[in-house]
Amino acid sequence: MVRLFLLIGILSLITALAPASSVFPYKYQETTLENGLKVILVPMKNSGLVSYYTVVEVGSMDEVESGKSGFAHFFEHMMFRGTSKYPAEVYNQKLAEMGADFNAYTNEDFTAYYINFPGKYLEAVMEMESDRFMNLKYALPGFQTEAKAVLGEYTKNFSNPFVQVEEKMLDTAFETSTYKHTTMGFLKDIQDMPNQYEYSLTFFNRFYRPENCTIIITGDFNPGEVLAQIKKYYSAWKPGNYVPKYPVEPEQKQEKTATISYPGDTLPILAIAYKTSQFSPTSTDFAALIVLGNLAFGETSALYKKLVLDEQKVDVLEPDSSPHRGPNLFWILARLKNVQDLPDVQNAILATAEQMKTTPVNPKQLADLKSNLKYGFLMKLDSSKNVASQLPRYVAFIENMSEIDTFFQTLDKIQAEDVQNAAKKYLVVNQRTIITLTGAQ
Amino acid sequence: MLRKLLLLIFLVTPLTLFGQSISDSQLLLIRNDSPLVAFRILIPSGSANDPAGKEGLAALTGSLLSDGSTQKNDYQKILELLFPMSASYTVQVDKEMTVISGVTHKDNLTAFYQLYRDAVLSPAFKQEDFERLKADQLNAVSKTLRFNNDEALGKEVLSASIYKSHPYGHPNEGTEKAIQSITIEDVKDFYNKNYTRDRAVIGIAGDFPDSMVEQVKKDFASLPTGSVGVSSAKLPEPGKIEGLNVVMIEKESQGTAISFGFPISLTRSNEDFYALMVFNAWFGQHRNSFSHLYQVMRGMRGMNYGDYSYIEFYPLPFFTMLPRPNYARHQQFFEVWIRPVQHQNRHFALRQAIRELQNMIDNGMTQQDFELSKSFLLNFTTNLAQSNSEQLGYFLDDRFYALSKPFLEQVKTKVTALKLNDVNQAIKKYLNTQNMIIAIVTQDAASFKEALVKNTPSPIQYDSPKPESILQEDKQIMAYPLSIKEENIIIIPAEKIFE
Repeated sequence: MVRLFLLIGILSLITALAPASSVFPYKYQETTLENGLKVILVPMKNSGLVSYYTVVEVGSMDEVESGKSGFAHFFEHMMFRGTSKYPAEVYNQKLAEMGADFNAYTNEDFTAYYINFPGKYLEAVMEMESDRFMNLKYALPGFQTEAKAVLGEYTKNFSNPFVQVEEKMLDTAFETSTYKHTTMGFLKDIQDMPNQYEYSLTFFNRFYRPENCTIIITGDFNPGEVLAQIKKYYSAWKPGNYVPKYPVEPEQKQEKTATISYPGDTLPILAIAYKTSQFSPTSTDFAALIVLGNLAFGETSALYKKLVLDEQKVDVLEPDSSPHRGPNLFWILARLKNVQDLPDVQNAILATAEQMKTTPVNPKQLADLKSNLKYGFLMKLDSSKNVASQLPRYVAFIENMSEIDTFFQTLDKIQAEDVQNAAKKYLVVNQRTIITLTGAQ
Repeated sequence: MLRKLLLLIFLVTPLTLFGQSISDSQLLLIRNDSPLVAFRILIPSGSANDPAGKEGLAALTGSLLSDGSTQKNDYQKILELLFPMSASYTVQVDKEMTVISGVTHKDNLTAFYQLYRDAVLSPAFKQEDFERLKADQLNAVSKTLRFNNDEALGKEVLSASIYKSHPYGHPNEGTEKAIQSITIEDVKDFYNKNYTRDRAVIGIAGDFPDSMVEQVKKDFASLPTGSVGVSSAKLPEPGKIEGLNVVMIEKESQGTAISFGFPISLTRSNEDFYALMVFNAWFGQHRNSFSHLYQVMRGMRGMNYGDYSYIEFYPLPFFTMLPRPNYARHQQFFEVWIRPVQHQNRHFALRQAIRELQNMIDNGMTQQDFELSKSFLLNFTTNLAQSNSEQLGYFLDDRFYALSKPFLEQVKTKVTALKLNDVNQAIKKYLNTQNMIIAIVTQDAASFKEALVKNTPSPIQYDSPKPESILQEDKQIMAYPLSIKEENIIIIPAEKIFE
């Protein structure tokens, strides 16, 4: 849901400092400007690099209009096409002078823009970033050319069978939900993008608003100075008021299946997904599914030992319960070595799912997983650049940084019974979709 | 008394006395207050050391270390022990080096180190692990490489063609028949001959105690002993390329993937490398819109997702923004990477990229672009080697290239000193467009072959207006002659490549 900003004119700044015993190991400063823009500053000593992220709470799930799938991602491309003050060539030249490493990515739930550069350029970057988020301006020819680059992106992805499995799963599992289409969008919508210039401007006005955005800066800088600069450059950004009307996905009443015939000799893929609820840091269900996924289908599971190590029928076995802003899917993904093993592998996965309803996970495994998740979080923070790159995955789904601790506390409290309950509630036959991909022999 | 004293010395320091120890010169230590402790062990052997007929052996041996059992613990047990630490170790194998790297939080340092050490020093080479990993490696070549990533396939075909009959001339994972022929005895033999004490370099970075260093020196003394001073086999020169040689892989595909290139006699140890680096950053910086090729092909014309060039090998996965360290080689090749284009634009795209390169050879860089590229490079290096593990990797590569100063420092000093003429001379000296390999992954390869041989004009159609300057230039591009003889174009079905 797009956050509504309700406190205009009442509170100018809300500043919070990191508590001493956070799971997140670095001191940070969290502020919300009057216009709703959130700012997270994590000063860290390093070799002089600064990482500057702008996280926008818009993804493909916000593409509610028919024929407009893929727009959040396409729009991410358009954000590099310039403003009046900094036309694209000038923007690119300035970033080149700075030796910047920059890009962006979009997924179903958010879009993240990042720039890594030597810290001496921080104010210059801030000026350009604030300008393009407030004043993006591109003409039709550049728009139409960029639509072709998006088509090029679709093209280069297409040979990857996992991409095809994802496309098919989402399209099959969902009826009306905006998760039905992938972030790239339906091919027919991508092909029509050159004709959607006016809509792209509407999209910018709707979603690229301060209340939907969080700026994250890590690296070598003075937080007091930087906060003052952010106020200077971003305070003029006006909030919006658009709230998409999300279609409600009807309850799934029976199992769905689909197959993909891949043109080429490729290893078979089996994907099984169950409908789940959206993420919340306090949701026991969500945390229990993370635990269930790891212990039932992860590297230390009995199923992994059986299918990957002992029988050697499978070379990839992975659960996926990534957070989403809306109700989504819990996946089990397997890649097989031989197509004739498909029935056996499917039965083994489904049997494990059933077993999770009746057999409690053992306490040591549960304790090990909780330790794994905490250290896993810490292990990814191996540079100030990677601290910045990890935060959008949390920031897009929480109201403030302390909810990272809340999430880990919810995980910590999960007991064997919670895992069984989650299995009984979610791993049910009429809530699942099964996709198989096989190649030409 | 003297005899007793000598005996005592012998007992206390037996390893040092007899030279059976990891010497300090084999250690690379970076101390900082990061709680994430990184290890990298470099073995100067890789797929260039695969015996003939056993291509893929170095990679399979590496897999058995990273994904196999040790003498103490079977692989399932290793996974269980690593799990609560969320720590791991991996092995990467390139042409001339194998690196076993691992990272752990310092809370778990002792427990992790034991597993990591055992993986390198006492791999079990169990039959069931061997069968599993050999099957995976075979699938990686025969299915995944051939069919699942057209760009990766094109790049691998380019490399194999440039280095035909050369130790670099096969994918690191090997070829289908060769992998099938590898036995577990082959793996043990490769390990014993290559993972030797005198050649290993061991790096540790982070907040680790002195006792860790002593432990490492003691433990790794038990690596197999090889002859002191053994070095990688002397590499032959790659074969001379005459004319434009095209290798086309036929497969059903959504777009056409193109890579082209040729060997260059430059590495980080050469002065001219830095001059060519200035050109290459401007011409095709990886996944950066600074790339000139990107600007004229994707930016102005919407041809594809991106276009880049390289003077050093860039490893998989290509979606990364920055190169991973420890793919250092004594021989490099220049490469242009054109990401998949619509089939109807494939001839145009190939012409455009080659024409752009020839233009640079003929005319050189402008002063303005030269200054911009210098500024880019001097600042861009700040992005590199940010984590402990990456820092170790860069320093290990510095040792491989025998650099007097770290590479990232050298870039700064050498690039600062360069003049425009230095760069333009390097472009003329090292680059060309007449003698190259062109690797293409496409469908209906036969009609592309015919068009190339006949130099058929290849107009491009846009479905939106373009500036007149682009349209005028397109007229030149579409007719740009590529002199390709019919006998120099081969078409191979995807299922047959890397047999």
